[in-house]
Amino acid sequence: MYSLPGNPNPDVVTQESLLLGAVERIGRIRQGRIAVHVHLSRLRPQNRQDGHVRIALRMLEPMVNAYRGQMFLLTNSDVVFMLKDANLTDVENMIYKLRALFSKDPLTFADTGDGIDNFCTWYDLASEDYDAFLEMAREVTEEARARNRDKSQQQAGSTTLDAKMLGDLLERLARTDIRRLIRRQSAIAVGAGGANAEVIFQEFFVSVTELQKELASEVSLLSNRWLFQHLSLSLDQRVLGSLMNSHLAAWPVVYGLNLNLATVRTSAFQEFADHIGGHAGLSVEIQVLDVLADSRGYFEAHKRLHDQNHWIVLDGIGALSLQFMDVSQFKADFYKLNWSPEMGEGEHGEQVAAALGPLGLDKIVLGRCDSEAAIQWGLAKGIQRFQGRYVDTMLAAYTMAVCDKSAACTLGQCIARHGVLSGPPRPECGNLPMLDTPPVMRAIKARMPEGAKR
Amino acid sequence: MKPPQTMGRREVEREREDPANFDPRAERLVGQEPLLLDYVRKLEKHRRGRQVAIIHLSYLQPQNRREHHVRTAINSFEALVKQLKGQIFVLSNSDLVFIFKDAALDETEGAIVKMKFLFSDDPLLVDEGAPGRPAFVDWFDMEADYEALLMLAQRAAHEEEARRHQDFTKGFVAQQAVKQMSAGQPLTPQMLNRIEEALMRADLSNLMRRQAICALVGRAAPQPIFNELFISIAELRETLMPDVNLASSPWLFQQLTESLDRRVLSMLIKNDDRTMAGDVSINLNVQTMIAPEFLTFDDNLQAGMRGTIVLEVQKVDVFADLGSFLFARDFAHERGYRICIDGVNLDSLPFVDRQRLGVDLIKITWTPAMKSGLLPNGVKFEHYINRCGPGRAILCRCDDKEAIEYGQSVGMTMFQGRHVEALIVSDAKRTKGLSFFRR
Repeated sequence: MYSLPGNPNPDVVTQESLLLGAVERIGRIRQGRIAVHVHLSRLRPQNRQDGHVRIALRMLEPMVNAYRGQMFLLTNSDVVFMLKDANLTDVENMIYKLRALFSKDPLTFADTGDGIDNFCTWYDLASEDYDAFLEMAREVTEEARARNRDKSQQQAGSTTLDAKMLGDLLERLARTDIRRLIRRQSAIAVGAGGANAEVIFQEFFVSVTELQKELASEVSLLSNRWLFQHLSLSLDQRVLGSLMNSHLAAWPVVYGLNLNLATVRTSAFQEFADHIGGHAGLSVEIQVLDVLADSRGYFEAHKRLHDQNHWIVLDGIGALSLQFMDVSQFKADFYKLNWSPEMGEGEHGEQVAAALGPLGLDKIVLGRCDSEAAIQWGLAKGIQRFQGRYVDTMLAAYTMAVCDKSAACTLGQCIARHGVLSGPPRPECGNLPMLDTPPVMRAIKARMPEGAKR
Repeated sequence: MKPPQTMGRREVEREREDPANFDPRAERLVGQEPLLLDYVRKLEKHRRGRQVAIIHLSYLQPQNRREHHVRTAINSFEALVKQLKGQIFVLSNSDLVFIFKDAALDETEGAIVKMKFLFSDDPLLVDEGAPGRPAFVDWFDMEADYEALLMLAQRAAHEEEARRHQDFTKGFVAQQAVKQMSAGQPLTPQMLNRIEEALMRADLSNLMRRQAICALVGRAAPQPIFNELFISIAELRETLMPDVNLASSPWLFQQLTESLDRRVLSMLIKNDDRTMAGDVSINLNVQTMIAPEFLTFDDNLQAGMRGTIVLEVQKVDVFADLGSFLFARDFAHERGYRICIDGVNLDSLPFVDRQRLGVDLIKITWTPAMKSGLLPNGVKFEHYINRCGPGRAILCRCDDKEAIEYGQSVGMTMFQGRHVEALIVSDAKRTKGLSFFRR
């Protein structure tokens, strides 16, 4: 905020350098002073947006003023404040309130096991804590300087989407061949018998990151939810059209599509359903947001889709949805639960797993499985369906094991070729029918409990 | 896309957005010009010893002469009227005419001083008496100025008559607006952009409305609990975008309401505390609850006021990002606000669990389909209300008696809507009498 682009002056004033100045000044008058470093930077990105930080500052402000203290907002969103002759109970109460505000973030509930408070660090400046505090201030100042030096141009996705831009984007979208932007990812089911694992559907979706790059890299498409939803209506139409004209070497068992409820009522949807009828199944993934916006529309679509033997998948269920709503009310065929690493941690993971029970574990698809740990957690809880990058890797590995052309390829290439519908790197594959036909895999075995803990 | 017939119902389900709830006649006090003329004529033989004060509330800024301001102003004369020392008339432009006996001059002046204090930061009174400023009060002596007064009353009565005729036509137009909501050109991003730009410049204070949420228990008189402040979208549409079909693009419409909510908030920041006086609710979206505008609003409130303010959040907004909602909820609760989830209808009830979500109130939109007594998931409506807490659920859009009777039959006690407004008016008539104001 103080540095001008194109003028990488290493000595610009930053909040960090102001902090350092303040710490140095009080070096001789440390009696009765304390400092607290609140590590907001350790929160999940979605929990430390501008609004969150603003509220945190607002909560602390009156106290900092009351004790004639100083407060600094560091570039990484950390907050540091110093107080003189403060009532420690007051400060502790305020930190308690602040922590409660972020209680949905793993930072405040995850147990690191070492007894150290990861949310904030206290310094009694009259003691030798001062040296550590000074050292911290020096470090962050140096980091801020380094950041300023190599500050890039305008960052991608830094502009907020507004109605005017949306109009332009829709025009650009109409001229864009979106087939190249469509991604494919399979979900697998581990049979109850435990012998084989097979693909239950192939999900086709537009990568928002890719779309943003293609349409307007400076605009963050997700920065305005309602406008993005409007854009996604057009996107639905384009995806349905593209899939009708795709040249897959084999029909997927089931097409998985993320659609708006409104799209299900359009003729494009019906045409697509007719087109794949008799060849492949169809599974429609709907967002909670969409159901809440038009619940009657949801129940109508639910009936229509079931009448045509399609599946309904409720997309994007997380620990919070399980906790704050009765998810079973959606009466979906499958619920896609997004894996996140904190689920692997004791109590939190147990709570999530307990909430899945009423839905039926055979209706859960654990998505975003980026690691084996995700799948091991799921298996340990009785989940049988998985999707994510780890699953992609498994599928590619099994494909290569049986593919006669695999000697020419790497695993990474095979994964990448599986991931697209058309365009590079798909044409590089020497065995397209194999690429489009899911291999039969041996079921993943749940590890012994000792191993599953990790 | 959504067929129009379902859209009209859904997108326009918020009370404030429903043109069906817009009745221009209900928005202001009906003028008492004919009564005034009648009274002045009767006094022809009793002119001596009487004076007249005309209080020009119409010269105040629009935000200072809304219905509750006028009511407060009328109330300052209540004691004098009860003691038969004077008679008050409200004109349709909100001006007050007080005709009183000489003996009550001091008390009348006292009442006017009180009133000036009430409006003391209105530009009209900030530099009262400055050259070129119209006077807030005009004084007449009944005996000396009788002819002038009579003429004034005649002209006022004539104008009121003409306006009534117009209102009737306009009311009809408003009813038609329901149908028109889903007619016209579809709302496009370009159009939304133009509307949002116009909103930034437009003075929306005359489109600000308030509607009471009342406790209605048995046959007892309605007890207003709080008032919802909102912008009338139906009227806004008439002025800004008469040919646009707002129902055509639900998400763009959602964006429009969000812009409006922000505008309301910035208006409330600029206004004085009196707009917020009494218990009120305002519509906010989750992102705005943690935006700088809201913090400024919060700064400007008097201590203790927050506890009387209800923040209404749309259900879609809550579930669009539960994490953000929970954060905003905890912050607002910490500051002392109460939170109401708005826009819940029969179909979405199964998804909205007030206790789990940790909110204070939920607002359920009435529809006659509720009379089946069952939610879409087969749960009894009564059961749901019991679990929610009967004192925690508001039935809104109660346009007729049926809505309230049904709500009461399942244990509900709080209601909002046109029929509730009508009950308030008839109750006011009964307790205060016709001489105060007629509606």
